[in-house]
Amino acid sequence: MLISLRDVSAGYGSKTVVDCISFDIAPGEFCALLGLNGSGKTTLLKAVCGLLPVTKGMCLVNGADVSRLNERKRARHISYIPQRFSAMQGVAVTDVVMMGLNARLGAMEFPSAELKTLAFNAMETMGIGSLAGEDFSKLSEGQRQMAVLARTLVQDAPVMLMDEPDSALDFLNRHGIMAWFRRNIHAEGKAGLVTLHDPNLALAYCDRLILLRNGKIVSDMRLYRAGKDEIRECLSAVYGEITLIEHCGRYIVLLN
Amino acid sequence: MRKYFVITGLLVALAFVLSLRVGRYPLSARDILMILTGSEISGLSRGVFFTLRLPRTVMALMVGAGLGLAGSVFQLIFKNPLASPDIIGVSSGANLGAALAIVFFGQSAALMAASAFGFAMLAVALVAALSRLGRFGGAVSYILFGIIIKAVCESVIMILKFFADPERELAAMEFWAMGSLGNITASKLAAVAPFFLIGFAGLVIMRRHIMLLGLEDDESRSLGARVKLIRTLVLGAAALTVASVISMTGLVVFVGLNAPHAARLMIKRVSFAWMVLSAMIGALILLVSDCFARGISGVEIPVSIPTTFIGVPVLLVFMLKRQFRG
Repeated sequence: MLISLRDVSAGYGSKTVVDCISFDIAPGEFCALLGLNGSGKTTLLKAVCGLLPVTKGMCLVNGADVSRLNERKRARHISYIPQRFSAMQGVAVTDVVMMGLNARLGAMEFPSAELKTLAFNAMETMGIGSLAGEDFSKLSEGQRQMAVLARTLVQDAPVMLMDEPDSALDFLNRHGIMAWFRRNIHAEGKAGLVTLHDPNLALAYCDRLILLRNGKIVSDMRLYRAGKDEIRECLSAVYGEITLIEHCGRYIVLLN
Repeated sequence: MRKYFVITGLLVALAFVLSLRVGRYPLSARDILMILTGSEISGLSRGVFFTLRLPRTVMALMVGAGLGLAGSVFQLIFKNPLASPDIIGVSSGANLGAALAIVFFGQSAALMAASAFGFAMLAVALVAALSRLGRFGGAVSYILFGIIIKAVCESVIMILKFFADPERELAAMEFWAMGSLGNITASKLAAVAPFFLIGFAGLVIMRRHIMLLGLEDDESRSLGARVKLIRTLVLGAAALTVASVISMTGLVVFVGLNAPHAARLMIKRVSFAWMVLSAMIGALILLVSDCFARGISGVEIPVSIPTTFIGVPVLLVFMLKRQFRG
């Protein structure tokens, strides 16, 4: 198992936001974390990647207890795309993407020509090759998101955590990157955990849905095993009255 | 972008040569050439050159480059365009150390410098220790504790000034706070150079980490930056760079704030290249300022006067140029 959560609780100060969460994610599994605003998705992601201390339980990544690893070691196992990025005023897009190499370099080491090529290729993959020299803070929100995705690609960690990586993307980019994540995770046996607001996107690209409500898991289903009724029932536990339409072997959710 | 480096580099070289020539005992370019090639020349010229003029010029270069580099580092990691080397108490600590030495140990230059250096590093160490212990964490707590330590230093200085002998001690304190390269000699340069070089080289080596400190803490941590550790190391190196030189020259104002802005307005990017250019501009301002300080009238004037009067137009030219364009 790449990610194993055992009765994890976490929160801010004395306030517990997510409570007693347990699940495992296997290599090659792309898992969506769904829930309404304030349900604890971001808190859970931050706890998994060690940015927020786990108050109870244990979080294992690649077999190692996250709370015992320092930032460098964690970053070799886990990449994390936050919801909001730092301003990085005046920093060139290339430099932002190169920061993804940090965990792979020694403390006194600088990127080799080979790693630099890797970074440029990542930018090409994300379709921002032409923006390499631009000021990151002057890009559009969506372009910035693509730059940070390129940085994650460069970091190349076996566990990928993503907090609404599609929030600022256009329709095509949104589907493009979700398809790319799915391919990458399946092909390289990584574990992906992504928070999304659109259940349709999760149904179309993810292997598994974990639904959160008030900091607790209300359902955890593997889509290849689940039937139409089960999916509708699980989703309506969070989203209320919904209709699930089947179209060309895919499900589409509509709010009633 | 390259043109700015070439032009600034040439100007620094020019100012360096000018600074070797100007002074109460003028040396012509030909004299300097003869000294350097070891040709026959008066022992006085040789003495002036090696014990006074060259050390003083190298010191000006170091002060300017150190303040310029450290200034850019502070602006980047505090994400604040107003951040300057004093934000974590370096200069206030140095000022207090010098004032204490003046009042309690007479005006021995060596003791003043040692005390200024010691107190500058102590002030920074206190700020670092308090922010690491404190609960806010992050760069903001450095700023908050920096303000506190700075305020404490300044009020102790006020006490010292109030009770100081106005003729000798108070005057010495005031002059120290305005900075001067007038009494720099080869041995003084040799005393501070190792500390300066360690700090400066440390910042250059940690350049990749400095860029990571420009991010929000959570983001840089998720990229594998051990934020608390590297922030302490980087600030320590920056403080060492600044404290080593200003403990010998006294306070030099405005360069640490001005040089990074001028460099930023030139190359419009935040990167290691920006930090290098900022160091070069700082060196240029200091070299030219020091020429003014010793050449503008019969007496030496404090170097902080020309750093401001030269620094302001440099900054204004670029700010206004950008305003008119955009």
